[in-house]
Amino acid sequence: MTLKGGTGQACAACKYQRRRCASDCPLAPFFPADQPKMFQNAHKLFGVSNILKILKQLDPSQKVIAMKSIKYQANMRDKYPVYGCLVEIQQLSYQIQMAEEELQAILAQLAYYRQRHQQQEISSASDSLSQLQLGMGPPGNALTLLHQDNPTYDVMTALPIVPHATYSNHGNPGYNTEYLEAKENNVVDSLWIQQPYSNSNNDNNSMVMQSQLSMAQPLSVQQETAQDYDEIYPFFDTIDDRQSYIDSKEVSESSLKDTRQSVEQLAENELKSAAACFSLTSVN
Amino acid sequence: MASSSSYSNPPCAACKFLRRKCLPGCIFAPYFPPEEPQKFANVHKIFGASNVSKLLNEILPHQREDAVNSLAYEAEARLKDPVYGCVGAISVLQRQVLHLQKELDATNADLMRYTGSETSYLNQMTAQFGRMGRGGGGASFNPNSGFPDATYSSQWNNDSNSSEHGGNGGM
Repeated sequence: MTLKGGTGQACAACKYQRRRCASDCPLAPFFPADQPKMFQNAHKLFGVSNILKILKQLDPSQKVIAMKSIKYQANMRDKYPVYGCLVEIQQLSYQIQMAEEELQAILAQLAYYRQRHQQQEISSASDSLSQLQLGMGPPGNALTLLHQDNPTYDVMTALPIVPHATYSNHGNPGYNTEYLEAKENNVVDSLWIQQPYSNSNNDNNSMVMQSQLSMAQPLSVQQETAQDYDEIYPFFDTIDDRQSYIDSKEVSESSLKDTRQSVEQLAENELKSAAACFSLTSVN
Repeated sequence: MASSSSYSNPPCAACKFLRRKCLPGCIFAPYFPPEEPQKFANVHKIFGASNVSKLLNEILPHQREDAVNSLAYEAEARLKDPVYGCVGAISVLQRQVLHLQKELDATNADLMRYTGSETSYLNQMTAQFGRMGRGGGGASFNPNSGFPDATYSSQWNNDSNSSEHGGNGGM
């Protein structure tokens, strides 16, 4: 049994070669006795003499890294006898190519949405300006205070306005969500309040907005119900309770017209309720 | 006795280098043409002719050309960079992949601000499936499953403080 300097175990290299493992064995630090396979791979690919030749020309600090790379290379060659390390190189090159293509596609999408967003900003700015000029803007100062001029329209936070009523009716929340985004702006425009009002400095505004929210909710639910029926009606062709949908649709359409007429009236009511809430808040 | 007058193929680069007779069944001849002497010289210097011969004998004949080319590549890389060899290229590529992945994540986050959920969700799912394919080692190779006895994973990491030490005596 080969011994390393009389005590201790021989390194994997010396064990394999069945020789005495000297205390200054150059390969001992890199091939521990408990990892014989690692040395076998390195020996199979490079050979002891070639490994020593490589190490000979390196500084001690470089030897550690060099041995790591030699062992890695040998292990890869053992795993993939035909291609060795080229497997990893090809895999990584492919990953890079795919990632770059993906990045280009997303950047193109991003550019498109940025451009669209800018156009929306410009059009909304011009709309509000034209409304002011024609004197058809929302009455009073309360609503303008409440309507945050947030340039980034956050769809995610806009969704909770009509959370559950429509879902329970249709059982197709995903579809409703998508439709909500399209319709909310057009129909409930004057009632629309962007969600991140927590950023507002005025706590009173938040109270007022909450009251508006509660008032607006049944109204918007009704509107959304009407619009959704139009869209998903063909989707539910095979469902037996079709008639109930038709009935509710007719009712909803008529109520929609009424709703639009009452929007202005509602605005005035909101002002009054806002004032009431304001007074209540101030008491608390 | 006169030597054979029949035309014989010129010796391959290996036999020329080793100064030996290139026999008809020479295992190196198909892959080391005499026009490319440096190819065998590099391979012999790093791996040794006997090791290469043993490796080629263990591989199916139709795969030997690829094996020789990969060995030639690795030998040339090791000669250019004795410390890292071809593993240096792997390290560079891995860093590129990480960089691109970070960039993708950041760009996706930007996109989510505009689209909200739908489109960027689809992009992310596509990206995740793509990464799963990479991480699981798609195609016919799976280099990402670690070697059983390796002290380090297949993710080459050259900036770690290795627990191995070269020893004071060293070479």
